[in-house]
Amino acid sequence: MLEGLYAAAAGMEAQQQQMDAVGNDLANVSTSGYKAERVGFSDLLYNKVNQAGTSTTTGAGALSRVIGRSSAQGAFQQTGEPLDLAIQGEGFFQIKSAGKLALTRDGALSVDGKGQLVTSDGSLLDPPITLPAGVATGEITISQDGAVRAGTRTLGTIALVSVPAPDHLLADGSGAFTPTAASGAPKAVSGATIHQGALEGSNVDMASEMTTMVSTQRNYQLASTAIQTQNQMLAIANQLRS
Amino acid sequence: MDLGLYIAATGMVAEQTRQDQISNDLANASTPGYKSERTTQSSFGELLLSNTATGSPIGTVGEGVALGKTVTDMTPAGMQDTGQPLDFGIVGTGFFAVKTPQGVRYTRDGQFSASATGQLVTAAGDPVLDAQGNPLTVGANGRVAASSLGVHEVPGATKQGENLFSGNPSGKAAGTVRQGALELSGVDAAKAMVDMIGSMRTFQSGQQAIQAIDQTLQAASTQVGTLSGNP
Repeated sequence: MLEGLYAAAAGMEAQQQQMDAVGNDLANVSTSGYKAERVGFSDLLYNKVNQAGTSTTTGAGALSRVIGRSSAQGAFQQTGEPLDLAIQGEGFFQIKSAGKLALTRDGALSVDGKGQLVTSDGSLLDPPITLPAGVATGEITISQDGAVRAGTRTLGTIALVSVPAPDHLLADGSGAFTPTAASGAPKAVSGATIHQGALEGSNVDMASEMTTMVSTQRNYQLASTAIQTQNQMLAIANQLRS
Repeated sequence: MDLGLYIAATGMVAEQTRQDQISNDLANASTPGYKSERTTQSSFGELLLSNTATGSPIGTVGEGVALGKTVTDMTPAGMQDTGQPLDFGIVGTGFFAVKTPQGVRYTRDGQFSASATGQLVTAAGDPVLDAQGNPLTVGANGRVAASSLGVHEVPGATKQGENLFSGNPSGKAAGTVRQGALELSGVDAAKAMVDMIGSMRTFQSGQQAIQAIDQTLQAASTQVGTLSGNP
């Protein structure tokens, strides 16, 4: 009897995690380069109930976990800023964040005090690109293959990299991701292009997030009703000797 | 007389199990490729009552409710388009094959991703197999052709948790793989709710029957044998 109570409670917990992911996605609907979370559900162990020679099985509820992130392309926002970059296709900018290698799709770059190109949180591009003294940001052109030029001078190339399993990148909370053993090491990608003067918007789809939210809430409610019913049944059993 | 107590109790126990299964179904209302469960209920063997003096048969009396086999409803559920390149759903019957440490298992949950070595894996990290039983590799564009996934018919597949089924495949399945879609959970919320209410009321009927028998026993133990009939 109590198994059903816990099965339904596990179901509520799984829905709660889905709701957390929806909340996070909706909060990041305007974050450049943000990728929506993918949540996966699975059932749990099955117990055999043996009674009078028959074997009946009852399940132990459900579990949810974040499987990874949606790889869908976010919409481009034209900004006209010479140091705003958007990636079309698979791939990330490689940056050094506090001395560690990290990956990001947020291409809102700026120039720091030393003339180096940095991301919005101050991380250097890897390999670093330095603007010579006297070069204004307006003179910089960045081609689709990542070559950075000031007039006719080539200042460097912005590399696009990816990992074999992007779903296992560790989000560090500032829009950047750290490669892990499960994601594999970054290596150069081909086929993706860089667009100057644009930013990639969040790929969160409001309509599908709202739909997920409604169904999550209803499924949470269903599981809670199951707990209430089990509770009523326990009360009925308690009143056997009235 | 006291046989009735135990008959009513078997009914209550059977409803408890049914309720546990409904709870599990409702907990899995969002689980892709989940298949809902029901347990058959049957009666225990009946007793033939006979007149002890004459030996002539009076009739039969049941012994209550026995739980039967758990039946999994394998009807394919609807598809939900997700647009994710590594989400797959089977339209029609059949299962994807997955290589787990315990051997090959089968699933209808096609929410896959890429591993560090570039293989197509399940959420638990187990490689997904093609029709020949070899692991699949995710292409450089982050995709796997839907036609390369193996779809197997597994008659009598039994659930073992983590969205996996075990069983022996036989023959090619009729189902086709659709990319960018997931099979919804097979739980019908309205039906589960109705079953839940019905089950609870049946449980309550068992309780009422036990209480009624208890009152009769009480009368037998306190009133029978008193001359007035009023203790």
